[in-house]
Amino acid sequence: MEQEVYAPQQNTFTCVLCGLSTPFTYFGQKPPNTRAIVLLEECFVTRDPFSPDKERFLVLGSKCSLCGSCACVGSDCSLFYTTRFCMRCVNKNLEQFPAAIQSEVAKKPTSKPAVP
Amino acid sequence: MDSDKRRDSRGSWDWDNPQCRAQLDEIFFRQHDYIQAGSPEHKDFWAFFDRFQRFRTKKDMHGLGHSKSSETGEGKEGKLDLGLPKEYDARYRINVSVCTGDVEERLGRSDHRHRSSGVGKEQIADCRLAYLHFLDFRQRQSFGKLAKLRRDQKNLPIYQYRDRIVDLVRQHPVVVVAGDTGCGKSTQVPQYLLSSGFSQIACTQPRRIACISLAKRVSFESLNQYGSKVGYQIRFETTRTEATKLSFLTEGLLLRQIQQDPSLAQYQVLIVDEVHERHLHCDFLLGVLRSLLSCRPDLRLILMSATINIKLFSNYFASAPVLQVPGRLFPIQVIYQPIPPEEQASRLEKLDPRPYLRVLQGIDQRYPSEERGDLLLFLSGVAEISTIQEACQVYATHTQRWIVLPLHSTLSLVQQDKVFDISPPGVRKCIISTNIAETSVTIDGVRFVVDSGKVKEMSFDPKAKMQRLQEFWISRASAEQRKGRAGRTGPGVCYRLYAESDYDAFAPYPVPEIHRVALDSLVLQMKSMGLGDPRSFVFIDPPPASSIQTAVTYLREQGALDSRGELTSIGSLLAQLPVDVVIGKMLVLGSVFNVVEPVLTVAAALSVQSPFLRSAQHNPDCATARQPLLSNQGDPFTLLNTFNAWVEVKGERGGGSRKWCRRRGLEEQRLYEMVNLRRQFKELLKSHGLLESAAPPAAGERGQRRERLTERRKLHQLKREHDLTEGSRRKVLRLGVDAEGGSDSGSDAEDAGKRSKDKNRPGQSTDIQEVKFKLRHNVSELQEAALASQDLSSRQQSILKLVLCRGLYPQLALPDEHNSTRKDSEQVFHTRNKHSVVIHPTSVFASDPEVLQVPEDEVRELGAERKGPESSRHQLLSFVTLLETNKPYLSNCVRVPALQALLLVANSVDSNADCSRLVVDGWLELELREPDGALKVLSSALSLRADWERLLLARLGQSLGQGQGASGAGGVSRKEMDKLSEGLVRFLLYTEVSYSLRRLTAFQTQNLYVGPQPESEPIKNPLFPGVEAKPDPIKGGLRVTTFFTYNCLADSRDLYSECLRTFWTCPNCELYMPFTPLERMQHEATCRPPGEVQDTEAAAESSMTTSSLSAPSLTRLYHCDVCDEDLTLTSTEILKHKRQHMASLK
Repeated sequence: MEQEVYAPQQNTFTCVLCGLSTPFTYFGQKPPNTRAIVLLEECFVTRDPFSPDKERFLVLGSKCSLCGSCACVGSDCSLFYTTRFCMRCVNKNLEQFPAAIQSEVAKKPTSKPAVP
Repeated sequence: MDSDKRRDSRGSWDWDNPQCRAQLDEIFFRQHDYIQAGSPEHKDFWAFFDRFQRFRTKKDMHGLGHSKSSETGEGKEGKLDLGLPKEYDARYRINVSVCTGDVEERLGRSDHRHRSSGVGKEQIADCRLAYLHFLDFRQRQSFGKLAKLRRDQKNLPIYQYRDRIVDLVRQHPVVVVAGDTGCGKSTQVPQYLLSSGFSQIACTQPRRIACISLAKRVSFESLNQYGSKVGYQIRFETTRTEATKLSFLTEGLLLRQIQQDPSLAQYQVLIVDEVHERHLHCDFLLGVLRSLLSCRPDLRLILMSATINIKLFSNYFASAPVLQVPGRLFPIQVIYQPIPPEEQASRLEKLDPRPYLRVLQGIDQRYPSEERGDLLLFLSGVAEISTIQEACQVYATHTQRWIVLPLHSTLSLVQQDKVFDISPPGVRKCIISTNIAETSVTIDGVRFVVDSGKVKEMSFDPKAKMQRLQEFWISRASAEQRKGRAGRTGPGVCYRLYAESDYDAFAPYPVPEIHRVALDSLVLQMKSMGLGDPRSFVFIDPPPASSIQTAVTYLREQGALDSRGELTSIGSLLAQLPVDVVIGKMLVLGSVFNVVEPVLTVAAALSVQSPFLRSAQHNPDCATARQPLLSNQGDPFTLLNTFNAWVEVKGERGGGSRKWCRRRGLEEQRLYEMVNLRRQFKELLKSHGLLESAAPPAAGERGQRRERLTERRKLHQLKREHDLTEGSRRKVLRLGVDAEGGSDSGSDAEDAGKRSKDKNRPGQSTDIQEVKFKLRHNVSELQEAALASQDLSSRQQSILKLVLCRGLYPQLALPDEHNSTRKDSEQVFHTRNKHSVVIHPTSVFASDPEVLQVPEDEVRELGAERKGPESSRHQLLSFVTLLETNKPYLSNCVRVPALQALLLVANSVDSNADCSRLVVDGWLELELREPDGALKVLSSALSLRADWERLLLARLGQSLGQGQGASGAGGVSRKEMDKLSEGLVRFLLYTEVSYSLRRLTAFQTQNLYVGPQPESEPIKNPLFPGVEAKPDPIKGGLRVTTFFTYNCLADSRDLYSECLRTFWTCPNCELYMPFTPLERMQHEATCRPPGEVQDTEAAAESSMTTSSLSAPSLTRLYHCDVCDEDLTLTSTEILKHKRQHMASLK
């Protein structure tokens, strides 16, 4: 009992880039109660804490399709373009992305603080 | 806005047409879909849709849109490694898809119908695209919030200690976390524990408001805004449920919980926050927890404090580990500007505003007005605030650069709230505050602090039984705290209006509350928690032993402790009431009589701050409107009237009560507090069996109940909506209007004007207090209660007064004998321990003192020996507080008939031989003109008190379930109580004895008693059985009851009257014979009218078993020397028996 009580919470999603860490309740493409909605990638999902409606979901992040590392959906950490890329991989393969994305990435301050 | 219309090629399609939209709703937003038509989100979607379409149109026009083209599906054919589509499309950036194939297919089959109205593939595609973008937008929005929240958490100074804190708590039973303002300890530490697996966490706060705001903040931060993982518990409200893992509660409430659950099994972790503030409850709580830890080794205790005196706390808990966290304050420049001697006010003068004005001027000269930053000025009290406010206002009106706002706890909440509003550009707020802004109220945006270095603190004078509000220099810790208020949002400046050497001479810390206040309630609570001798309890900083002794003595006087210092049955009940001992006593006493409803109201009213706003007192409109509420019986009656009138308004007009209150200069919040407290009292009395539970609602009212249920549902909805919309959007203050803030409360013109503007915002218009009120209380039930206590008959009124008076005893004041020749404003009163006190100007007797004077025509004649006027109409004041500020003031007073009240409540009544002279509590002397009348009054008082005591004890015994055999008698019958109250009323209202009343001089008190006498003739037959009537060892005379000592007054007048018998006929048994005064009283105490005897006998039996108090039983063992026989007789029978012998002797 005691061990259980003091154990850290299970199912925590942590972004390898920014360190954002928060519990998730579902991993996959079809979160509960989403009806006609389907995710186009396997995501870490939680209930949207900012909505009074219990059935609203919030995508926290997913695995980079290239390197497989967990990245949050924040624009500093990953981008979705037909599939998920963490910013490290985006920067490595920047030339392969359309111009619109390239200029967008260029605009951002390059220094990406990693996990402290 | 809606000008943008996109028409498709068919021409019949109109995006703005609700019917067209409805068709799409049927595809995307059906009843079981993620978003349903009609929901708020659905509305949001269409609003988003309009914007999205406009955006696309614009893009199309600029030729930037690549979106229409058809490459979409063929992304895979790209030759690049990543296989990305060459052509950019925003659609590719969305990771969501909506499958509506099935619906579309179905629609396709019944094609013709839809074709006519025009929904086509293109519209569906448009809508789908907008929907996807909408979903994506929503995701970004929420995720953005989450990311910001996490970022902010990470930026707090305490964040880097996160793991360390958790480790320490895992390893040590007690941990001290010390961190200064802004380090984030209050919000973060509970979360760290929560997220590392601890649960059942309680976090105490010194203030209720902090419990609510912290629970709100922490539930938001821990992503449980809409759940109940995090909750709060305060006196009348709890959001704690089964699912709650962390709750914020007040220190007092946790103590109450320990009273119920001594091992505190419901919690695993306790966090005691702000321990450095050293509140009474907090110090006590630490003491209790310290001893609790030994029997709960699994319990974790975390003390959180500012970086003040940390060692003290650590040492108290066996050198508990301390973790120090730096605060987050900006640099603050300190400027010492001592007040020059010529500007220093002497004690009685008003404060000189010049030093303060110079600071304002200096700021105006040195800092450009575009640079924002407000000023916070600390003064000691309300009078000082209004003096400086006045002067600053003149300056502000002149320069147009300042808005001056006062801040202290006696302001209305609306006015207090103004300090959080924003000043217009180029204008600074100048907030003039008491030390309330030091810790309790935190105002952002303060850049300048002016510190007068003074504070007014309440202290308790045990000798005079008086609270005292005195001005002191603050401590260095307070000075630092005040200074810190300038550096919360940016670098700041602190002007100290004292010298640096003064600062160095300040005490290091403020005096803890436990050293300043009366400890009655604390000692009572300790007793009821079984903590043993309060003097040996290990406090973190023990209070002076004399202070505890005073409290013990007081509690003994109040009957809460017995002579051995153990809790009496009344005491154990009082300990459970979260109010002052005197108020608790009132409640218990009131429940015995038929005046429960008004007593509940009065007790609640006296336990909260007065609803009458001081500032409205000088407003003639308010004064007129208040007039009908005033009662010249006393202030509690005014409060009672006010509450009843308010309840009536609530019943009739609901939300209209706000205006009603404003017109009368009443703070409605206080009335809400009263109604809540009242209900709590009622429940407490019920749970102790002192009040019958209400009868279940009559049958056949199902319709009504259903109606109420529907209403409740609606109210809950309103409350939820309010909770959601309650964004703390701050108003912008206006120069000139808000500036005069201090003087205008009560006039509704200004408030109403401002409000009507706000009211345009929906949601805001719900008066949340009104909603909560309706949720919590049954208005019609309250109205009934109000009605019951509204037009009190003079009999009920006199009983109510007696209950108040006995509750408040020994807080009694005597009008000075020369008051009739003094001006209204110079009326003087005396209490036992404090001479020459005055009535507080807020009291009804301050404006109407004549009602306290003996009516001229009533005065028979002046006593020969200058003993003052004789009358049957002398009155005393029973008062709630005696507080010394610049003068000692009495507040919340009730007038009571002197002789009757004293005889019924006083702890000590001493008489001379013929009972024509009485001394009460060693300070009041009453001389009754006719010995016969005196005897009659005294003996009725004695028997009434005996009955009262007996019934009270029986009632309490009943309620505490400690029947001790008394339960057999079935407790107290209604009939008996009615009879008692009838008797009391008769005594109070119709006692027509003329007497003089005066205070004894110090010299007189020295030679008051005859003192112990050599027992010439041992008293063989103590005449008051049940009580050991024996010579009083100090006073002399005969101690007849616990409170009455016969013939102990040194009274040279009549040496023989003790044994002098006069003929007298008993009105009950018609016995006619000569009696000594004592015999006669004794006979009267036991002789009942025929027919009543049975009742009393049964009751007497029970009272004999309950013992301890002065209840006399009727029969006792009597040994007759003549017959040489042991007889069991009542006292009357003994007398008769003796007379027999006397007759036979002749």
